[in-house]
Amino acid sequence: MKSEIKMTGNRLQITRVFDAPRAVVFAYWTRTEKLQQWSGCKDATKVEIEADLRAGGSFTQRMWIAGAGEYTFTGKYEEITEPEKIVYTANMGPATIRITIEFFEEGRRTRVVLTQEGFPDPKMCQIVSQGFSESFEKLDELLAKHSA
Amino acid sequence: MVNKQTVSAVFAALADPTRRRILERLATGGEARATALARPFRISLPAISRHLRVLEGARLIERRRKGRLHLIRARAAGLAEARRWMAHYAAGWDAAFDALDELLHKDREKGKRE
Repeated sequence: MKSEIKMTGNRLQITRVFDAPRAVVFAYWTRTEKLQQWSGCKDATKVEIEADLRAGGSFTQRMWIAGAGEYTFTGKYEEITEPEKIVYTANMGPATIRITIEFFEEGRRTRVVLTQEGFPDPKMCQIVSQGFSESFEKLDELLAKHSA
Repeated sequence: MVNKQTVSAVFAALADPTRRRILERLATGGEARATALARPFRISLPAISRHLRVLEGARLIERRRKGRLHLIRARAAGLAEARRWMAHYAAGWDAAFDALDELLHKDREKGKRE
């Protein structure tokens, strides 16, 4: 686990420092051909994203997951402030989750802080849960420290 | 395996700041009566009761009777389930970030060669 994890109430915050300039990292979140190269679940064999990348614009993400089939979800961008911030909501199962991503310059590196509020129907992650079990154990240790 | 309904109820319960504070109070201060829980908030006892029902529905708290008293306490297992579920998401994002990290690394190497 290379990310730093913080959990409070119904809010999950993940921080990661990437060894690339902010504009480059930002482009990987805002250009669909780049976004679909990395943003799927771990077990996804293919990810397709259609996005209208502006405030109020909507997106559809379709994933094909080995042995489990297809999973599609939609959402809407609330804010896109280049190259600092992206806010979007995603409809997953009965719940809507809200994700805020902030990009901070740290010299030639970029600190990305992702905040997720709300947690949906577990369907998607049940599908991909196999791939998670390993990182789970490490996380449990981390969590034990946080909740202590 | 995580129970779907419970998890949704837990996160819905946790979405409210008053309920989070009630839980914190129970987690740090131990068992308490509803009237004692209502005291720090500027809300009525019926309003506190509603919050307690939501927390109870999410199995985050439980009640017991001690003589004529109704005592409320936090259920650690309920929160552990929510944390486990959050951990699921955290692990998913972490894996995606690994993939992004790798792509950025490849770009950098390509940039050096060109």
